[in-house]
Amino acid sequence: MFIRSDGKEAVGCLPMTLHPVSEGRLCHRGWNRFQNLRSFNRLSRPLFREGSNLKEVDWPEALQKSTEKISELLSRYGPRSIGVIGSPWLTNEDNYRIARFSRDTLGTGHLDGSYRFSGASALIALDRLFSGSFGSLGSIPAIGQSPTILVIGKESCRDFSPVGSRLIRAFLNGSTLILADPLCTRKEHFFNTLLPHPIQSLASVFKDKKSLPPEVSLRLFEPGLALIFLADQVDSASSLWSLLHSLLSQSPKENPLPLVLPLSRSPNLKGAWDMGMRPAQSGLTLHEMLAEGSEVRGLLIFGDDLHSHLLTSSGGVKFRNLEFVLAADRFMTNTARAAHCVLPIPLLAETEGTMTNSEGRVQLLRPFADPQGESRSVSRILHELSRRLGKEFPLLSEPEVRKEIGKSISPYSAAVSESDLEKVGGILLPAPTAQPTGELSEPAEQGLEDNRYRLLIKNTLYAWNRNQMIHESPVLSIEYPSERLAVRMNPLDAKELKLRIGERVRIRSERGETQTPVEVDDQLPPRALMLPSHFVEAVESLAGEATQDRMTRTVYFPNLSVSVEKI
Amino acid sequence: MEQAVLHKGNLKHWVDLVQGAFQVFVPSRVYGEIFFLPYAGQMEPDLLCGNAALPYLPPKDIVFPQSESLFSFTRNAGDVDLSVPERPSEKRVLLGIRSCDTVGLHWLDHFYLSNFRDFYYHDRRDHLTLVSVACTQPMKNCFCICCEGGPFLHPETTAFDLQLVDLEDRYLVECNSEKGKALIDLNRDLFSPPDPAILETRDQAEKKSHTRFLQEPTSYMSTAIRRITSNSVPPEVWTELGERCFDDGGCTFVCPCCSCFGVGYTAKGGTGCHYRFWDSCDYSGFTREVSGHNPRAEKGERFKRRFFHKLSYHYVKRDGRIGCVGCGRCITACPGEVGMPAVVERLRRG
Repeated sequence: MFIRSDGKEAVGCLPMTLHPVSEGRLCHRGWNRFQNLRSFNRLSRPLFREGSNLKEVDWPEALQKSTEKISELLSRYGPRSIGVIGSPWLTNEDNYRIARFSRDTLGTGHLDGSYRFSGASALIALDRLFSGSFGSLGSIPAIGQSPTILVIGKESCRDFSPVGSRLIRAFLNGSTLILADPLCTRKEHFFNTLLPHPIQSLASVFKDKKSLPPEVSLRLFEPGLALIFLADQVDSASSLWSLLHSLLSQSPKENPLPLVLPLSRSPNLKGAWDMGMRPAQSGLTLHEMLAEGSEVRGLLIFGDDLHSHLLTSSGGVKFRNLEFVLAADRFMTNTARAAHCVLPIPLLAETEGTMTNSEGRVQLLRPFADPQGESRSVSRILHELSRRLGKEFPLLSEPEVRKEIGKSISPYSAAVSESDLEKVGGILLPAPTAQPTGELSEPAEQGLEDNRYRLLIKNTLYAWNRNQMIHESPVLSIEYPSERLAVRMNPLDAKELKLRIGERVRIRSERGETQTPVEVDDQLPPRALMLPSHFVEAVESLAGEATQDRMTRTVYFPNLSVSVEKI
Repeated sequence: MEQAVLHKGNLKHWVDLVQGAFQVFVPSRVYGEIFFLPYAGQMEPDLLCGNAALPYLPPKDIVFPQSESLFSFTRNAGDVDLSVPERPSEKRVLLGIRSCDTVGLHWLDHFYLSNFRDFYYHDRRDHLTLVSVACTQPMKNCFCICCEGGPFLHPETTAFDLQLVDLEDRYLVECNSEKGKALIDLNRDLFSPPDPAILETRDQAEKKSHTRFLQEPTSYMSTAIRRITSNSVPPEVWTELGERCFDDGGCTFVCPCCSCFGVGYTAKGGTGCHYRFWDSCDYSGFTREVSGHNPRAEKGERFKRRFFHKLSYHYVKRDGRIGCVGCGRCITACPGEVGMPAVVERLRRG
C-alpha cells in the first residue's frame, strides 16, 4: 500500500494493483488508513507521573526516572517482578528486540503480547498442532482455487477484502463455500451452506456428521480444503485444535494439509508471535501477570493499549496497583493514562522494518515520513534503558536484526534476503514440515432448554473502536460508532418480550444476573443474545469467574444459557 | 479546432518549455504502479502512447485530494484565529491524462462549479491545463466506448484543452481551448500544420481504435439506465448485488466521477484544523442520522442508491451524462466482483 503525501502531510493511500495479495483491493480501514497520520492527538513528548498527573519531561529525565524505577524493582524483588509486553502493532524487528531486552537486560521470562486475550489462542493451537513454528499454512491467493472453503464467522470475509475477493472468485469458479456462524440469520448467496454452530461445537458436529447436510460431509474431507477464521475471536485454543483434528483425522491420509488462514485485526499478530513474544519457560502469561497475588510489580508495555484489552475486573485492579508501568505508544490511550511513564514512539508508517501477515508473508515497511514530535524508536529506547541499567544492548540496524532473526527463528531463515524483501509481495515463509500431532476432545455446547436464550459473549468487531486507528479517523469512527452497553437480540424476541430499543432487561444465568438495555439486531438469529466481552462488569455479573483455557494459560467467557425478562 | 503536428523527438523540448511556465505532471511508475508525478526531466514514452495505461488513482486527486485542510484555528487569549490554506499560485499542466479521466474531471467540474462554486476545487481546477492522450489500444478493463468516456475526445462533447493522438513517430495535437493554445504558443516552431494525409491517418486511427475497444462489448448501459430509471429492477437483485459489496469504498475512491466528501476535525490544546476527505456511499455511516436511524442501513439499498446516481435518467438529465466514464477501475477495486460492467450485465438479465 502507498501512503500519499502533498509534500507536507499524508493526504491519502492507495493499494498496489501489482501486489499478489491485495491486487488493488482493501477493506474500508485500509482505504482510510492514512487518517491517523494527520492526527493532532499524537504523543509528542515523554511524560512522567507526578502525583495524579502526567507531566511533560525531556527524554533524559524520562529514561533516568524509568531506569531508577526498574532498578528499584530489580533490587527489591528481583527480575521476576517485571513483565514485558510486546505488540502486534510493532514490527518483527522491534518485537524481537523487546524479547531480547526482556531476556538479556532484565532477565525476566515474564514476556507476552498484548494479543493474549485475542489472537494468541489460535496461534497456540496451530503451534501445538505443528510441533513448533508453522511458517505459512497456505497463501491467500490460493484460496481462489480451493474447491471447498470453510469460513468461521462472517466477518472473516467481510472485513478482509483480499480474502473476501478470493472467496468470491472461488464461488464464481464453482467452489463450495460453507459458513459456520451461530450469529448469522441469513447467509449471503455465495455461501452454499450455513452451519449455525460456534467453533466450540464444530469438532463434534464434524465427527458426528448427523447434523451436517450430506454435500457438506462429502466436501469437507476432500483434498484442497481452505479453513478461514478470525484468530481474534477464537476463545480457547482447544476448540480450534479439536476442530483441526476432526478435519484432519477424517481426511484420507494422502490428502495435503488444508489451507489454514488465521486472520487478525492487528497487522502483525503472527510476526509478533513468531518473534518470541510469549513467556519463557518459567515465565507468566499476561493473564497470569495480572492475576491477583502475582509476583509482577512492574510492566513495560510497548505499542498497544493493553488496558483496553483486559477481560476481567481483577486484571484491571492489579494493573492499577502496579508499582511501575511504562507505556511506549503513539497516542494517549487508556494504558498511557494509567501509566507512570509514557514514551512516544513512531507510528508504523514512520517505521522501517518487516511485518508478517496472516498467511505468513514477510513484507518490508518503508517509512512514509520522519517520526513526529520527539518520538524515538523502540530500538533506541531499549538501548538507552539498557545502558542506564549497566547492560549492553547494541543499536543494530533493521537488516542486522533481520539477520539475527534468520539465524535464531527457523522459518525466518528463508526471509533474510534483502533483495527478495524489496520485491512487491515480500517473502512467503515455508510450509511446516511436521505432521499434525495429538488430539484433544472439546465438549460440545449444550443444547438449550425451552424458554432459554443462548448468550454469546463475543470479542466483537465493535471493540475496534477502542483502536486508535479508528478513533483518529473521522470516516472509521462513523463506521464504528461508540459502543454502548447493551445486549443485542433478534427483533422477534424483542417483540415477544414487548421490548423496545433501550428498554432494560434482567438476564439470569446459573452463575449470576445483570441488567442491561436492549438493542435490536436483525442480524442475530432468534433465541440468541450477544454481549460484547469488553463490558467486563456486566459479563462478570452474569458469567461469574472466567473459564481458564489451559493451553493458552488465559481466560475467556464461554457462551451461557440464560433467561431474559423485561424490567 | 486547431490541429498541429508535434514530432515525438520534440516532445521533451516542448515539455521542458512548458515546465518553465507551469508545474507539469506526467505519468510515472513507482514500484511498477502508475502515478502522476511532477516532471523532473524524464518521461516514460510507453505511458504517453496509444495504449490505455491508466494510473489506478484517477488524477481527480490533483483538484480534489483524498484529504485536504479547509481551515485551521488557534485560540489566542479569548479570541480565535482562523486561517484558510493558501490558494495555489502555480499553474499546472497534466500531461498524459486519458480521455476517460478528462471526461471524469468535467463531471467533477459540473458538480463543484455549476450550482455552487467550491473555491477549494475551483482554484485548483482554474490553474490546471489538461493535455490528454487519445487511446488506440484498450487495457483489459476498459469500456469507455460504452459510456462516452473515450477512447478519443471530441470538442462537441468534452471541453478538453489539448489532445495528443499517437501517430507512431509524431502526435497530432488537437487544441480546443485558450489554455491549450497557450501551451502551443510557447514555441510554435515545434509544431507544423497537418497535411491531409495525416488527418486521414488520424481518422483511420480513431476508427481502428473504436474497433479494438468494441471487440468485447462489456456493457449494456442503455438497458441498465432504462431499468434503473423505471425502477423495474427487482429488490432481490439489489440484495444479491449488495451481498457482494464489502463496504470497502474502493470503487468510489478510484472512480473519476465520485465526488462525495465528509468533513472532520482534529484539535489539541486550542489548535486544530477542519478538513474534508473522500467519503463513500458504500459506507453505512454515509447516511446514518444522528438519531441512529439509517435510511439505507441495508447494503442492497446503498448499492441501489449508488447505481441510481450513476445511471438513472434523472441524473443524466440533470448532469448531461451518466456518472461513469468506463475506465474500469471499479473492476480492479471491487473484491466482490461487482464493478460497473458486472452490475450492468446483472441488471440486463433482470
